Amino acid sequence: MPLFEVLGSGGEKTAVVIDLGAAYTKCGFAGETGPRFIIPSEIQRPGVQQPIKVVQYNINTEELYTNLKEFIHMLYFRHLLVNPRDRRVVIIESILCPSHFRETLSKVFFKHFEVPSVLFAPSHLMSIMTLGINSALVMDCGYTETLVLPVYEGIPILSAWEALPMGGKAIHKELDSLLTEQCTVDTDSGTGHSLPTVIVSEEVVEDIKVRTCFVSDLQRGLKIQEAKFNMDGTAERPAPPPDVDYPLDGEKILHIKGSIRDSIAEMLFEQDNEEKSIATLILDTLVKCPIDTRKVLSENLLVIGGTSMLPGFLHRLLAEIRLLVEKPKYCDALATKSFRLHSPPAKPNCTAWLGAFCICSLSKAEPPYHLVSPLKQSHMSVRNTPSFHRVLKLTRQGEVGEFVFVSMVLQGFSLFPMMIWVTDNHPSPTI
Amino acid sequence: MASLLQPDRVLYLVRGEKKIRAPLSQLYFCRYCSELRSLECVSHEVDSHYCPSCLENMPSAEAKLKKNRCANCFDCPCCMHTLSTRATNIPAPLPDDPTKTAMKKAYYLACGFCRWTSRDVGMADKSVGTFNVVDRTSIKAGCNYCDFSVILCVKEKYGLGTRLQRQRPGAPVSALYGLSLKEGEEQKEVSIEPAQALDEVEPLPEDCYTRPINLPEVTTLRQRLLQPDFQPAGASQLHPKHKHLLMKRSLRCRKCEHNLSKPEFNPTSIKFKIQLVAVSYIPEVRIMSIPNLRHMKESQVLLTLTNPVESITHVSLFTCEEGDPDDINSTAKVMVPAKELVLAGKDAAAEYDELAEPQDFQDDPDVVAFRKSNKIGFFIKVIPQQEEGDVTVAFKIRHDFRNLAAPIRPSEDGETPSEVIWLVHHVELSLGPLIA
Repeated sequence: MPLFEVLGSGGEKTAVVIDLGAAYTKCGFAGETGPRFIIPSEIQRPGVQQPIKVVQYNINTEELYTNLKEFIHMLYFRHLLVNPRDRRVVIIESILCPSHFRETLSKVFFKHFEVPSVLFAPSHLMSIMTLGINSALVMDCGYTETLVLPVYEGIPILSAWEALPMGGKAIHKELDSLLTEQCTVDTDSGTGHSLPTVIVSEEVVEDIKVRTCFVSDLQRGLKIQEAKFNMDGTAERPAPPPDVDYPLDGEKILHIKGSIRDSIAEMLFEQDNEEKSIATLILDTLVKCPIDTRKVLSENLLVIGGTSMLPGFLHRLLAEIRLLVEKPKYCDALATKSFRLHSPPAKPNCTAWLGAFCICSLSKAEPPYHLVSPLKQSHMSVRNTPSFHRVLKLTRQGEVGEFVFVSMVLQGFSLFPMMIWVTDNHPSPTI
Repeated sequence: MASLLQPDRVLYLVRGEKKIRAPLSQLYFCRYCSELRSLECVSHEVDSHYCPSCLENMPSAEAKLKKNRCANCFDCPCCMHTLSTRATNIPAPLPDDPTKTAMKKAYYLACGFCRWTSRDVGMADKSVGTFNVVDRTSIKAGCNYCDFSVILCVKEKYGLGTRLQRQRPGAPVSALYGLSLKEGEEQKEVSIEPAQALDEVEPLPEDCYTRPINLPEVTTLRQRLLQPDFQPAGASQLHPKHKHLLMKRSLRCRKCEHNLSKPEFNPTSIKFKIQLVAVSYIPEVRIMSIPNLRHMKESQVLLTLTNPVESITHVSLFTCEEGDPDDINSTAKVMVPAKELVLAGKDAAAEYDELAEPQDFQDDPDVVAFRKSNKIGFFIKVIPQQEEGDVTVAFKIRHDFRNLAAPIRPSEDGETPSEVIWLVHHVELSLGPLIA
């Protein structure tokens, strides 16, 4: 039973919260301490060997619509087991999600599943709501990329976002190539085969990463990086951890070299040609933020996302930040030298999901998100406002049947961009 | 020859929001709208929940309470198979006489597939056969977040009670902590304690760099994600979970909101309370035999037409006109019989009734190849227009349909209670590749 069901007006059905990630989707009901299910964001078509990824930004609308429809159908009727028509939907997504994807997703929800309302909530903002604070520097280490966004007094400072395409996907690719180069496979026909004779799927690579790899601490990590980039071989690599024999589907055994285990995560912290790594993202963001906010933000760091669950990640990140802030590039720019990390009440991959509870508990009234935009007026009005003031500002007028971006200020927390489904209802006279 | 009976050889067109072509066996027929419906143009609803291993129906209120999990069945945390309860005899001291020992039954859970047992995680054997894995989420330590959301709910509750006055434009935005209350109510001061950030994070243990990994002891990602609240890294912390329920779906036409398919409550029953499937209302076309098809040569294809209803049905076929928007896939010209075909009604007792007179329909032997109870075989002529590729033809079927839904107005004596309406369907056949 949802934790706080008794507090809500009795009999009201709790909203459905879905966090659509590129690799995994977290879904469940508002009011619970965690998502009910964490499932891969893929659909399996009959006859096709590889599962199809649902969150793709480059495919055409028709195909995306069909994929999303199938995926959400599976979410509702296999995992959540509820009627889509009864419950409101909260979707947690990244701020950098393209509008085309959001529009297609909304079309699927409204036209096919006929849900009462859909709310798109940005993941960084949601995650700080779980802590009871208003400002934090949130870093989301996910599958496709790592995105850093500061939130100050409930408002995301959009101009200061920073991202790097260093995430689970990059690690898998690198691990795959290292395994192919360096590791051998024992099959029933003999020992010592090289890997290309055996095709390893991404799921297996992910499993290898999760079970065997870890992030070394700062000193060791720097030595490993030095040894890797040193041309004349003078730098010596610290002793690698023991090798692992990894069984592949019963008959084959893959011998994973110990040196891969601790060095694969170094790619997140290696500074590339532009001197960017995950740790510099945080410092660059701080530099972009207004000066008054920097102290508060640097003392409230929050890390979410699945990739940050690698053992030793947080310790290393903090150490890297503290090292880099002494460098001349940042030393003069940033006066604040103290960095503190929050530990959220949920696992890092569910933190953003958990924050959605606050949004759901606030919007008790009937869907106020079906709105208006009569074609002549340039402002929107809201039916059935609940207890607090809502201000909606249209970014542009919309035709009926379209989606329009709106920036909404809700109790001082600004949620934007938000999507409104434009109907042809006429607005009620006042807010 | 069985490949001719594959379902996707004969497709019927459904005119919904999107034009969908599907075999008749996968379509539904709304007899109130008198239209074909596919799975995409109906709305799905959850009808009833049941456990897939003990096949016990669960009322929806109970399902909601138990978070859609069965009370009696468990899933193995390692391989997701269903766990079975096993019993062993263990010697245990008798309660009255501690010196004597008697054999007592001890129950534990075991997986038949991966040999995992409940003893591996330290769950004590029970003397009673029922297990109850306590939902550990409720015991999870209270957190700052939980308090925060409690407070928000409380404020919401108070706020709602006062809200019917409208915000006047220009009035200051009421902040979160400044809700006005009714007279006589006290101001409840609820404070939210913000979380404290930590200066230091725990580093990796030293032996991580030197200790060899025992791979079976480390959980895979899939095993971890099955328990989203805890996501344990060690296999000794993997507790079994109650089995997730499945549900039966009912379908509803989006236009008229009538149920098209409603399954029975009982999980063991495969019947339906309401089953408005297309095969029981619309005559079905099937391919019986295809000769060798050659480019620009006329060939005769034998098709069968089956009548699903019990009354006599009149069917006429039309070719698609030039520029028909539905006709996008056909690659051959087709000539259909011009005369109206008459199909006898489906009579279940016909094979047992020897004295019945065979019905006499004057069949043109050029058109009708054979007739058997409610089925006839007829010829169509096909001229493939393209040199390569599969041959696809399309035509329209027009048949009469008696609507047996209850009439709204009471019929007077002498009038037939059901009206006859004519329905037209667009049918596409894929006849296979050309022979050179």
